[in-house]
Amino acid sequence: MSKTKIEPMVNLNTNPCKMCMPLGSVTAFYGIKNCMSILHGSQGCSTYIRRHMATHYNEPVDIASSSLTEQGTVFGGETNLLKGLKNLIEIYHPEVIGVSTTCLAETIGEDLPRMIGKFYAENPEYKNIEIIPVKSPGYGGTQYEGYFSAIFGVISSVSMQTEANDCINVITAPLTPADTRFLKEAFEMFGLKIILLPDVSDNLDGGYKEEYDKLPSGGTSLKDIKKMAGAKATIELCGIEIKDSPGKYLENHYGVPYYRINMPVGLRDTDIFYDLLSKLSEIDVPEEITIQRGRYLDAMIDAHKYNGEGRAVIFGEPDYVASTVRLCVENGVMPLVVATGSVCNDLKGLLKDEIDEIAKKYFIDRYEILQDVDFKTIEALAKELHANLLIGSSDGRRMEESLGIPLVRRGFPIHDRVGGQRLRMLGYEGSLDYMEDIANALLSKKEADFRENIHQQYYKKELQEDKMKELIEDKTKNHPCFNGCASNTARMHLAVAPRCNIQCNYCVRKFDCPNESRPGVTSKILTPIEALEKYKMVKKEMSNLSVVGIAGPGDALANFEETKKTLELIREFDPDVTFCLSTNGLMLPQYANELIRLGVSHVTVTMNAVDINIGAKIYKYIDYNGVKFEGVSAAAILLANQLSGLRILVAAGIICKVNIVTLKGINDKHIPKVVETVKEIGCYITNIMPFIQVKGSVFENLEPVSNKEVNEIRNLCGETMKQMYHCRQCRADAIGTLDNDRSLEFSECKGNCGSKKIEEGNSYTFAVASKSGMLVDTHFGHVAELYIYEYKDGDVCYKEKREIQKYCTGEENCGDEADKIDNIIKAIGECDGVITMRIGEAPKQKLNKKNVKVFVTYDRIDTAVKAAAEQMGNGQED
Amino acid sequence: MSSARDHLLEQYSARVYKNRKDHVVTKGEKDPDVVTANTRTIPGIITQRGCCFAGCKGVVLGPIKDAAIIVHGPIGCAYYSWGTRRHKAVADERDGEQADSYLEYCFSTDMQEPDIVFGGEKKLKQAITEAMSIFNPTAIFICSTCPVGLIGDDIHAVARWAEEEYSIKCIGFSCEGYKGVSQSAGHHIANNQIIKYIIGTGDRAPKKKFSVNILGEYNIGGDGWEVEKLLKRCGIEVVSVFTGGGSYRDMKNSHLADLNLVQCHRSINYVADMMYTKYGMDWLKVNFIGIESSVEALRNIAKYFNDAELTARIEDVISDEIANVFDEVQYLKSKLKGKTAALYVGGSRSHHYQTLLKDFGISTVLAGYEFAHRDDYEGREVIPDIKMDADSKNIESITVEKDPKYYKVLLSDEQKEALKEKGVNLNYYEGMFKEMDEGSIICDDLNHFETEEFLHILKPDIFFSGIKDKFVAQKGGFLSRQLHSYDYSGPYSTFSGAVRFGQDILMGLSTPAWGLIRAPWKQIPNLEGSLGGEE
Repeated sequence: MSKTKIEPMVNLNTNPCKMCMPLGSVTAFYGIKNCMSILHGSQGCSTYIRRHMATHYNEPVDIASSSLTEQGTVFGGETNLLKGLKNLIEIYHPEVIGVSTTCLAETIGEDLPRMIGKFYAENPEYKNIEIIPVKSPGYGGTQYEGYFSAIFGVISSVSMQTEANDCINVITAPLTPADTRFLKEAFEMFGLKIILLPDVSDNLDGGYKEEYDKLPSGGTSLKDIKKMAGAKATIELCGIEIKDSPGKYLENHYGVPYYRINMPVGLRDTDIFYDLLSKLSEIDVPEEITIQRGRYLDAMIDAHKYNGEGRAVIFGEPDYVASTVRLCVENGVMPLVVATGSVCNDLKGLLKDEIDEIAKKYFIDRYEILQDVDFKTIEALAKELHANLLIGSSDGRRMEESLGIPLVRRGFPIHDRVGGQRLRMLGYEGSLDYMEDIANALLSKKEADFRENIHQQYYKKELQEDKMKELIEDKTKNHPCFNGCASNTARMHLAVAPRCNIQCNYCVRKFDCPNESRPGVTSKILTPIEALEKYKMVKKEMSNLSVVGIAGPGDALANFEETKKTLELIREFDPDVTFCLSTNGLMLPQYANELIRLGVSHVTVTMNAVDINIGAKIYKYIDYNGVKFEGVSAAAILLANQLSGLRILVAAGIICKVNIVTLKGINDKHIPKVVETVKEIGCYITNIMPFIQVKGSVFENLEPVSNKEVNEIRNLCGETMKQMYHCRQCRADAIGTLDNDRSLEFSECKGNCGSKKIEEGNSYTFAVASKSGMLVDTHFGHVAELYIYEYKDGDVCYKEKREIQKYCTGEENCGDEADKIDNIIKAIGECDGVITMRIGEAPKQKLNKKNVKVFVTYDRIDTAVKAAAEQMGNGQED
Repeated sequence: MSSARDHLLEQYSARVYKNRKDHVVTKGEKDPDVVTANTRTIPGIITQRGCCFAGCKGVVLGPIKDAAIIVHGPIGCAYYSWGTRRHKAVADERDGEQADSYLEYCFSTDMQEPDIVFGGEKKLKQAITEAMSIFNPTAIFICSTCPVGLIGDDIHAVARWAEEEYSIKCIGFSCEGYKGVSQSAGHHIANNQIIKYIIGTGDRAPKKKFSVNILGEYNIGGDGWEVEKLLKRCGIEVVSVFTGGGSYRDMKNSHLADLNLVQCHRSINYVADMMYTKYGMDWLKVNFIGIESSVEALRNIAKYFNDAELTARIEDVISDEIANVFDEVQYLKSKLKGKTAALYVGGSRSHHYQTLLKDFGISTVLAGYEFAHRDDYEGREVIPDIKMDADSKNIESITVEKDPKYYKVLLSDEQKEALKEKGVNLNYYEGMFKEMDEGSIICDDLNHFETEEFLHILKPDIFFSGIKDKFVAQKGGFLSRQLHSYDYSGPYSTFSGAVRFGQDILMGLSTPAWGLIRAPWKQIPNLEGSLGGEE
């Protein structure tokens, strides 16, 4: 134990952890039958104490006062006290009266025994009423000392009967009425007759009665008290040795054998208690008690895993604190701060070894046992030592609130809950209740925030969670690939990842990966430094550029060094940029944490199946850490890695999108299952895409799905989770907003070159009718957009996309046919030719009139453009 | 009903009878009704009264949020007055001036035996030093408990020392518990020091055309906040509240307001009276408990200021507030009408709540005050006739004079006379008697014994009291609600508070437990056949 760093205030008690002596004194008198208390002093003492006790017990608490006035302080309070006694007797007819002094009476030096003597002399008719004086100045100690002072007063002033009897005196530290009832039953089980002093079981926890008893009718009778001198033994249930011990007094004056044991709280002390009862009664411990013991023990074992995390602050009266510490220790709860407001020099010695032992096991090198302490000090220590639990009276509620740790309410007072008088801690059953209250307090706190805590601890160590979440949400809002509405935000895909580690059956590696990027034009591969230069240059031109993505042309993670370097360089240049990345997911578990660290907030994984047999049909092979796998094993490895990678990302708050390519007859029926799976993992959105036929691929002859079919699948899956409807299947080097790809403007730019204007002149511009952007595959009258391509010196360049009519996506939605053709022709504008799959006669005539040549073909776009340009050059036309 | 009084009194011994008979009055039996009040408590009878310390520290000073109150004495009194009253407050800022809240704290010098023997001034000084070093409050109040006055600690000298040493406001309150006969002495002592050392020391003038202070509103359960809100809606600036939710920061400017509104007459009338003499400020007795009485209070304010625009605004607010609660009040009234109540609270609530009960058709059969004076029962006109006993004479009575700088008169005597004719009686309180029904019982300093007896004789449906007598009533099968702390409920003031009050009463009366009292085996058996002479 080290010395506390906190300097306790020595002169200012801030938020006291104690009450005054008279409160303890009147509490003890409440355990005597037909007894009334009168406080000799100002009437406020009675009023305040009654108020305080009534709030705890929810019972009437009647305490009279001698109502001393200023005059009384000058001439002494005798007149008032004698009058008070008389009035009290006349109205209430008590058998016993406890007269306790207060600050005022003790300060003016009132001699109670003399005054009581005078009262008897003046009122001989009341000589049978036992009037017991108790010295209890508010400055003389706390309620704890006041309580024992009253018991000592009772035993030392009542005239005793010394004939031997077969009773056992039981004197206890302050207990709840419920615990008092337990004690009486426990002794009864051993056939032991006891005189319990005090016995508050009925008087401070009475039932409903239509006629209210003005006098407390329960409790220890005066008749029994007189027999205490002739009892077989006295048991003091009190962990602390009291200065004026009532038990010792009985031993010294009347030779009654004296035992002092701890209150039966916790397994060890309850064992000792029953063992003593068994010895005294010469009766074996009843089976029922052994069963109770077993039940408590079982509960201790059941709850150990929660209790073991308890780091407790325990405060209150010395006895209560000592017993609670022992119960905590035997349940693995570490007492960090043990505090009593009383002066109790023995407390440290009693508890030190016990706490040292558990502290050693837990490698805890600091705890505190404090006496004469206020809540200000306790709270500061609780904070400093990182306590997670408070155990004590409801006066700890302010700490509970300010520290945000739970308070297990026991002791006196309980003002902010009902039932304080019925809380138990004695015996195996009371201990069980108490222990489980402690465990449940820990558990309820744990249950409320353990997910959050683990999450913080293991996944989000470096992120400030709330800030990050907000940031990511904000970024998602402005991310064109995740939120179609963010169409004003520009994104830039950087082609730094040429290699791929899987072979999809719909893909030919000579083009960009169709997972995320539109094939057709192979983009130029950039080095990380070139990528940075390109970013800088584009950013200068496009102020709305806020997203950088790594999307191939291979797999971003199959080229991790390049990807990582690129992201690091750009982040350094622009700390606010949003990073996204798309991958097939094979290497995701390996790099996920690295991606999080790099600040990638959005990840797209292409997952075409969650069934390995379907997967085996889609993937030709995978190349995993240098080993080639095929068929089902390839699909299995890929799937496992995709799922576990996504889980890591989702847990870290990364927004995940899953791309699914619709392959007719292979996975089209399986897609909802894929969507359900990734939804469960916590992905944000799925992007179900049409399959694009690629010549030379395994699936080159697979029937493509129509947009309508894709939309049907999307609508179906939309019931499960958010769907992306706005995908444009961008290129790996796409730049700009979704509706305006400006990548070609920057396509020649490597490093620090400026943007190069495309020269006009001996070149041709074609408007291409295409659905997919890859093939010339659409009827002229059905196009929603035209792809504008430029042919120059044998090179085919994509220039832009022109929308015909924003909301016209197919014949079923389109209005007037004639209007539409006019719109298309308008969109063609200055183009030299139109390349289409089919075209009606009327539009053809119109185009010819405008000197626009029409080429009808079904081919890859670049092949078709080349062929058309050659025909133009040769003067041929269709 | 007179038999109820006789039935009670005849149980007393001749000596107690002689004392108590003048404290218990049946309305209408004598003309005029006279009650004995504010006299010494009979020793040994279980009184519900508190002490001087409770009235000073607990009631008047306790709610002042930005003053750190150090209780000089042994621990008990500080502990028992820690957060026990539900006066609410929050720290706030006003015109750039911060008012912290120390309401959650309890400060005590925790005197021990050696301090009693050798004196505690040194400890008190050190405690102030410690409080300054941790909390650095703008004001510190020192409140004495019983032993302090006896051992001769000079807390006022310590307060002067602290003011010099730390340039703060520090005031001593010699409110030892034995002074006077009840809390009332403590109110007086607190009021005296507030007038001497706080009011008039600030210079923040009100910004609005009409401004008031609310006196004797302790913001129990948020009552004061409701009243403030209502006045603000009417366009009236509340300069300060004495003292619920109030602050030293605002109280020091209170002399610059136009009018004092007095809610609790008993605890604060000294301040209202002295401000009238010193600053010329009129005071108006108001009661924001109850719908009718809130309307009356607002209209009286309107009449006082006599401004067409303000009057119109106040009428708008009244009709709006009434419209909001009308249906609910009608419903509650239909359920509560005809019930009877007994009230035994402090020094004004027993009167205030009768008007609220009347709003719901509940009549009051018994009312009493713990610590009132005769004027609280009979009206201020009896003040000249009140005989001061020795205990009251010991409480310092200060006299104030016109303040040359701030004295102002808003209304001429003629205008006041005209107002009186309109029913607005300034600087006056009519007391509780006048509004009570003939035959109802008034009992001053109702003790524990009398409570039980009267409950059995009068059998009210509800007994309104405090926590100390609450359980006596409930054990006897009487619904009891606390009017000191509202049993965790409230606010009960103004219009919406009235509805909340009505709901609480209805909820209490319809608690299922009341219908389950008798066990089946204790039911009176149905006798078969009939007895002779009966049908």
